[in-house]
Amino acid sequence: MDIVKRAAERAEAAEAYREKRTGTAVAFNAGDLEQVKAEDIVGHALRIIQEGRLGFASTTGAKADGLVEAALLSAQHGNPAPFGFAGTAAADPVPVCHDATTRLPAEELIGWCEEAVREIERAFPEVIANAGAERGSIDVEVKTSAGLARHEERSYLSMGVEAQWVREGDIYTVSASQSVRTVDELDRHRLIEDVLRELDWGREVVPAITGTPPVLLLPSAMIVVLLPLFVGFSGMSVVLGTSPLKDRLGEQVFDPRITLWDDGRLPLGPRSTSFDDEGVPTTRLALAKKGVATSFFHDLRSAALAQQEPTGNGQKSGLMGGGFRSPPSPGPRNIVLEPGTGTLDDLLAEMGDGLIVADVLGLGQGNIASGSFSNNVGVGFVVRGGKVVGRVKNTMIAGNAYDVLKSGVQALGGEPEWVYGVLHVPPMLAGGVHVVAQ
Amino acid sequence: MESLLRKAVAQSGADFVEARWDEAAWSRVAFQRDQLMALEQSAEAGGIVRALSGGAWGVASFTKAEDIEEAAKNAIRLAKIGARHVKEPEGIAEVPVEEARHQAELEHDFREVPLERKRELAERYNKLILGVSPDIVSTSVRYTDLLRRSTYANSEGAFIYQELPDVTLLLAAVARKNGDVQQAFESIGEAGGYEIAQDHEAKAEEAAQRAVQLLSAEPVKGGTYTVILDPELAGVFIHEAFGHICEADFLFRNAHMRKVMEIGRTFGVEELNVVEDGYIPGKRGNVPYDDEGVRRRKIHLIKNGILNELMHSRATAAKMGMQPTGNARAVSWEHAPIVRMRNTYIEPGSARFEDMLKGIDRGIYAKAAFGGQTQFEQFTFSAAYAYEIQRGEVGPMVRDVVLTGNVFHILKNIDMIGDDFTLQGGSGGCGKGGQFPLPVTDGAPHVRVNQVTIGGR
Repeated sequence: MDIVKRAAERAEAAEAYREKRTGTAVAFNAGDLEQVKAEDIVGHALRIIQEGRLGFASTTGAKADGLVEAALLSAQHGNPAPFGFAGTAAADPVPVCHDATTRLPAEELIGWCEEAVREIERAFPEVIANAGAERGSIDVEVKTSAGLARHEERSYLSMGVEAQWVREGDIYTVSASQSVRTVDELDRHRLIEDVLRELDWGREVVPAITGTPPVLLLPSAMIVVLLPLFVGFSGMSVVLGTSPLKDRLGEQVFDPRITLWDDGRLPLGPRSTSFDDEGVPTTRLALAKKGVATSFFHDLRSAALAQQEPTGNGQKSGLMGGGFRSPPSPGPRNIVLEPGTGTLDDLLAEMGDGLIVADVLGLGQGNIASGSFSNNVGVGFVVRGGKVVGRVKNTMIAGNAYDVLKSGVQALGGEPEWVYGVLHVPPMLAGGVHVVAQ
Repeated sequence: MESLLRKAVAQSGADFVEARWDEAAWSRVAFQRDQLMALEQSAEAGGIVRALSGGAWGVASFTKAEDIEEAAKNAIRLAKIGARHVKEPEGIAEVPVEEARHQAELEHDFREVPLERKRELAERYNKLILGVSPDIVSTSVRYTDLLRRSTYANSEGAFIYQELPDVTLLLAAVARKNGDVQQAFESIGEAGGYEIAQDHEAKAEEAAQRAVQLLSAEPVKGGTYTVILDPELAGVFIHEAFGHICEADFLFRNAHMRKVMEIGRTFGVEELNVVEDGYIPGKRGNVPYDDEGVRRRKIHLIKNGILNELMHSRATAAKMGMQPTGNARAVSWEHAPIVRMRNTYIEPGSARFEDMLKGIDRGIYAKAAFGGQTQFEQFTFSAAYAYEIQRGEVGPMVRDVVLTGNVFHILKNIDMIGDDFTLQGGSGGCGKGGQFPLPVTDGAPHVRVNQVTIGGR
């Protein structure tokens, strides 16, 4: 008998979540194959409402009995449930699965990694190249005692490529990665080209331009100014009063060129799903239109507390993982920043003298709720007269994401890219970023 | 489970097979402002088999105990696929075959404390924080306890059962004024019983007061400073900036990096000693045996300023001709072990705090840690709060202090090591290779460093 039925016999309402993960990952070390791993995992979570109180528990495998007891214990000492479980409204399917991708043989993933290592080491014989890839599927089922029964299989495929250039007194590391739903979308050559370009740009170490030069954030570095918005636009942060955007819907909070979507329904988007981890249909939500804040994203709890509709953003797996063990909380889907115009070269020409940031260290370690950032430039380049002249070291960028997006936007590029498996963003030329170097 | 594990690792077809079955039982209580975000008492179990064949590893994880033989066959099959591609085969260093049982030492067994008591404890801290000032708008108070019971067997005949307890408490306050949001926290983590989480009312109030103080603190001015790190931040520094590059798995196949991290190379002043220890009673990073069944060793990473030893798994030790150190750890049954830290600390020196302040015309006294990240020689870590040092005296509070630099330079720029010492675990943990949060502790005395780059305006 299934868990939700068992729970419903003992509680007023129940919501059961089941996640089955099957996948294969290949890992290289210093360019040589090290490990092939397979996983076959089932995780369960159960929420119940009993005497009006909310209870939660999770487990693995097939121990349903213990799970119901644990959720009842939790509810016994819990608080009144501020929300009810999802209704049975239709959830239109979004394409998120490609069968052939879930079955790609390990040999094929190994072959791609070997090819990447070979290509990079051929162009730069002195570097140590490395690669890794994984594929598989996550099969999710959400059922409630009110009759909701949703099920979806989602495929995933990701590949990362890295190169390390060690010289006396200098270690230079560049990397590129891609997370997609189908094998057709994976652009392996793009990954290799990105790494080769950054190796080429970084042959020489040059002094950074300090002060507040124009800073070109490549798509891979846009997370620096967008990560604080994951907190700012979260319905829960708004409810708790920790979001700087609280009470500011309808206000011009960003530059008019900033139009930002949280799109849970983008076909084959890396974080698209037909329904969220609470069974609520996902949505395509405008967070900001022409710089005006328009909506926040919600799960069931934050929506109920804010007296808003849920937006299908209830997630058990945040960007930092979590999975079936975590109670849901509001999280972003695919964050899409509408592009401007022009190529990377156009942006470089416009910038004249400045700093390109491709990768940073220390993401999310500061006070991101306030929007402030302060990061070591892991991979960054000096531009003089629109041309890259070399790479920086021991350099930091600092500023406030809200200030940069409000008054520091100089240009948005016309060529968006997927990064971190969550952002689809163009490069941005920005002012108001403080650069210091040793 | 013992017989299932022993049978699974006896499968033929590989050079070496190991299997682990982990049972975890935990409680968690989490408040944010007035919302009880989590209240649970859950349990789970899962397993993982790892096989070495032809110099490549095959790994299979699973959640149904009866699938273990299938998982073992699968791990061997995957290792054989890998072996067809390996250029430089991996091996494993010899270690004594251990049979051991290690029980948890809990003063006040948290399994005997009802969930409602744990809720009351967290709620009391939460209310204390909220009551400190009208500027406190939210909180994050989280109590967790966990008992991991791990059973391990390998094809050499090793069999280890161990219980690893972990109790954490996070007391965080969020203050907001005029659109500015600041946060402060206190965080505790130990391998002990329920007592670890009790009697921290003063810390809860401290966190709340500090969040309010940070609202009126100025952001630090970016530049290069002489910095005094408090023991907590110095501990995070030695973990992030130096500890990670002493994990042999990132360099054992990389001749360039091996040369950079050559044993015998001078890294700092003679007074600098850095220890990595697998067992200190009550500490979070304790692993009597690691997840390859290797008994812990206490090692000096740096002895008298000189690189002395690295942290090893059996594979890295074999390749480099060293002895395993007991540092192969997995965060859970979902993962194969990789080289990780345990309890890592800088040994106390002889400097008094007052003497460290002397002679600093313009500096920063950086305290506690938000976190840190390292990328080989480059590292960054952020102080939870800090003070300016002006003409040898501790001055006003500053915020947004993020330190960065090149670890080889900064270790050489440590010029004074304090005579005090704190070794502590926080409520978070260490992340590496997708495995997070692994319980560890860091420790140090106060440490003074010259020429540190701090980001800012």
